[in-house]
Amino acid sequence: MNHAYLDALVAAPFATALLVMLVGRRSEGAGVGLAVLGSLVIFGWSIPAVLEDRAVDAVWIESLDVHWHLLLDGISAPLLLLTTLVTLCCQIALVRHAPDCGGRASLAALLMLIESGVIGAFLAVDMVLFFLFFEVALIPMWFVINAWGDQHDPIGRRRAATRFLVFTVLGSALMIVGFLIVKADSGTFDITQVSSASTVAAVLVGIGLAVKTPLWPVHIWLPDAHAKAPTVGSVILAALLLKLGTYGFIRFWLPLVDPADDILPVFAGLAVVGIVYGALACLAQTDLKRLIAYSSVGHMGFVVLAITSYTTIGVQAAVYASVAHGLITGLLFFAAGAIKDRYGTGDLAELKALYGAVPRLAGVLAFAAMASLGLPGLAGFWGEMLAIRSALFAHDALPHDTFVVLSVIAALGVILTSAYFLVMMRTLLQGEPGPRGSSRDASEASQRVETKADLHWLEWAAWSPLLVLTVVLGVAPGLLLDPVATAMTGVLR
Amino acid sequence: MKWVVLTMLLLPFATAVVTLWAGHRSEVATKFLAVSGSLATFGLACVVAFPQLGHADPLVVTYTRTDSISPAIGLAANVDQLSAVMVLLAASVSFLVQLYSVGYLHDDPRYPSYAALVSLFSGSMLTVVVADDLWMLLVGWELMGACSYFLIAHHWELAEARAGAVKAFLMTRLADLGLLFAILLIGERTGSYRISQVTTILSNWDTSLPALLIVIAVIGKSAQFPLHSWLPDAMPGPTPISALIHAATMVAAGVFLVARMYPIFDADALTLLGVVAAITMLVSAFYALVTNDLKRVLAWSTVSQLAYMFGALAVGAWSAAVLHLLAHGAFKALLFLGAGSVVHAVGGRTSMTAMGGLRERIPDTFVTMTVGFGALAGVIPLVGFFSKDAIVHAGFDEAKHHEILDQPVAWVIFGAMVLTAALTVAYSMRAWLRVFFGPVDPDVEVHESPLTMRVPLYLLTAATVFGGLVFADPSRILGERAEEDLFHGSTAILMTALVAAVAGLVVFLWVRYDGADPWPPPVEELQPPEDHIYDLVLVRPIGALARAVVINDRDVVDAYADGAGASARGLGWVLRLAQNGSVQAYLMVVVVGAAAIAVAAGVLS
Repeated sequence: MNHAYLDALVAAPFATALLVMLVGRRSEGAGVGLAVLGSLVIFGWSIPAVLEDRAVDAVWIESLDVHWHLLLDGISAPLLLLTTLVTLCCQIALVRHAPDCGGRASLAALLMLIESGVIGAFLAVDMVLFFLFFEVALIPMWFVINAWGDQHDPIGRRRAATRFLVFTVLGSALMIVGFLIVKADSGTFDITQVSSASTVAAVLVGIGLAVKTPLWPVHIWLPDAHAKAPTVGSVILAALLLKLGTYGFIRFWLPLVDPADDILPVFAGLAVVGIVYGALACLAQTDLKRLIAYSSVGHMGFVVLAITSYTTIGVQAAVYASVAHGLITGLLFFAAGAIKDRYGTGDLAELKALYGAVPRLAGVLAFAAMASLGLPGLAGFWGEMLAIRSALFAHDALPHDTFVVLSVIAALGVILTSAYFLVMMRTLLQGEPGPRGSSRDASEASQRVETKADLHWLEWAAWSPLLVLTVVLGVAPGLLLDPVATAMTGVLR
Repeated sequence: MKWVVLTMLLLPFATAVVTLWAGHRSEVATKFLAVSGSLATFGLACVVAFPQLGHADPLVVTYTRTDSISPAIGLAANVDQLSAVMVLLAASVSFLVQLYSVGYLHDDPRYPSYAALVSLFSGSMLTVVVADDLWMLLVGWELMGACSYFLIAHHWELAEARAGAVKAFLMTRLADLGLLFAILLIGERTGSYRISQVTTILSNWDTSLPALLIVIAVIGKSAQFPLHSWLPDAMPGPTPISALIHAATMVAAGVFLVARMYPIFDADALTLLGVVAAITMLVSAFYALVTNDLKRVLAWSTVSQLAYMFGALAVGAWSAAVLHLLAHGAFKALLFLGAGSVVHAVGGRTSMTAMGGLRERIPDTFVTMTVGFGALAGVIPLVGFFSKDAIVHAGFDEAKHHEILDQPVAWVIFGAMVLTAALTVAYSMRAWLRVFFGPVDPDVEVHESPLTMRVPLYLLTAATVFGGLVFADPSRILGERAEEDLFHGSTAILMTALVAAVAGLVVFLWVRYDGADPWPPPVEELQPPEDHIYDLVLVRPIGALARAVVINDRDVVDAYADGAGASARGLGWVLRLAQNGSVQAYLMVVVVGAAAIAVAAGVLS
């Protein structure tokens, strides 16, 4: 039973992808419809995941001692549900929004392929299996950015796609070397049986995951990739692929780390630098999608800071912040994409007064911005609050004063985060209606901020799960904190 | 009763959602929903609050709690006497503001979102005042900040509204970090986030640092020195919102928080609070005296009166501070709604130079605002007189006996209180005379406000006139924490003499200058010098740093890419592969990778 359930979670998106591709050759619309249906079924199938822990362990490649070992517990279940839900939202979004260059069904199929890889990676506890699923998720994303990315900038989108792939593949290479060292030391690829590892292995795996998360200073692939990807690509990248990094940190890195080593404070320091650096970068951004992309650097900084505190609350905070970031940043990218659809640009210098032009869309963006800046009562708050708390009261073996200072800096990063979102709202949503900028191009600019069609019902349908969950997780933190607490055995020493 | 409290908390949020949903579908329905929702909330508030007044035991209930983190966080309410009076204040003023707004924003296309935000605002304040869990309190506390941000920016086409909203949100949120860290420390030191528990187990934990952090939080929330400039800058918001923010929510929450957590405040925290309050009450009273804009005068007076309450708390006069908070809630709501009526009458202008001689042309507003200004100045027998009298007396007591603070500090606070009382009379008289007396501008077309705006004015006037009756026996409202006698004849006589003398002086100057402004501002609109310092020390360096980060990131990206292309052949190969984009090539990468793993695994094992 467990076997069938978990295998189906991985196989169903893959099978759907193939079907969508086949049907899509005949009819694009039918292909996308099938993708919506498939992702809806997969989402429904994933819901019972919250009921009980499940595991599958079978020998897969005997000569290498690689096991088909999948585990569904309180840490992977929330991320699994996030994956199936966000994929469903993206497929619904594709129904209305046909990319300019066509190939909608192929795009839908690639998204299903990514879903398959992401689900596999969230369930895997065998290190090699995790690595392989990770790669399965990456390569379709390269196609998504490369082919369906920013149509105005073919060179830029190719460069962004390649940079994304090169960085993450290099990260994977370091990670797999780290895994091999662990294997050499402890004789197994099964992370649940690893009780200790050499510092070298922990550093290598840590750097590999740092690229994927991403952590400052190896974040530089991210802004381009997020900004150039098509809307659904940005949503999947931010909401799901970044979570592979944070999940990897929790599942595959923490068990390797010795809290007495200096490795945790170093990563905590990088995380906090990322929080401040990302916020500063956002303050001076002029492009909406780049701004949202850089905001992810800061949010991922909170996740890693929480993990490095080496406490149960830290892991709870990390999972919470990961899920919340998935929902909220997904929503932000959807809204940014909708603006770009309507006005052909995301340039903050060319748009303004959207409250007046497209009030509902502007309202959703304002809501998502408030959630992203960590307003209490919405999902973004608990993860970041608990991250600060976990750093303030970090594990006893860690340097106490260092972590107190880091938590205070992280808290100040919250203020900077508020600042850039308020600046964004001031320039984009508010302002005097009428032409913007110099009088020379005033006629062109004023055309761009004219009133356009407000939100379509399909956009509401795609976004409302994210909206609702942002509120629900904001008022009922126990929903996510409880399952993580039950899954903590073996994560920390 | 447990579920009545929860319904009272949820109803405003539900009203907000429904109002927003109704939106522009039907204007009448939206107005009906907004007003009836807040009326129902007020009804529930009465049901919740009245049994808790006087000598009742607090109602402490838990709805849910999350035990998987320690200390547990939860949804829990604690309705004691303080909560009860705050619930009544918040719910009543919110209702009156909703009613008033129907008239005030009668043809505003943004009314639905406005009304929804007002509901949300009152729901957040109710959450703050009944919360027993500190995190629940923080949720309400910061939601209020967000609501005030959106409401201040209601007229988002105006540059000063946009700037004021951002400033309000950032200044209060910066200070809110104090509350965040205070809560974290309290939880760590007591093992609980429940107010009912942490304020009763005091002997065995160090309250000093959390109390100081809470003082920082309320300095921001209640616009005290040096974070006092956001409140006057919040004036571009619609006037009823100012009434809501200044009288019953937001800034009042700061005073409430100190009153609620009062047992954990030790001498250090109270000294800081007292010194901040003494500076703030004087500085802002001076600003009020030389400001031209009617709404900004009232805003500065709010800052000053809040400082009065903090001064009272610093000298140990808990019940006097709470009663002044209530009294101020009534008369400041009255003054702001009255100011809205004046602004409405003169066609939207807020500068007092556009007003004058309005007493016969808007008689209802004149009568009610006269009562409001009288209460602000402390004229007997209005409610403001009694509460201010109690605070000044307590200040004098503390200066003589110095039971809590050092004697010099106590004397400074007392001196500031007396001086501020005099200044308050002066600026109230000045504003009153300039708005309602003096030369009439015949070009200005003036019309009295509609009934929905006048009814709230008269209701608040009644509260301001008869509120003083509470002082006959305050323990019937606040229970055993207000057993002492709060009325003192000698102080009352001296204060009345002070009020009369200053009022006489202002009238004398007014007559002598022939109806000209006795204290003309040195520049058109004074801006506190702190703003320039913040700009120079914080805003600009951060802006410069941000630009540097962006430039750095761009250059680094290019350097990485160039370096990758030039130096590493392997990388170049991967890059070329990636640019080829053929599926076969990828399959090869995967196969080669798998082989490499196999080899490595074999070698290593």
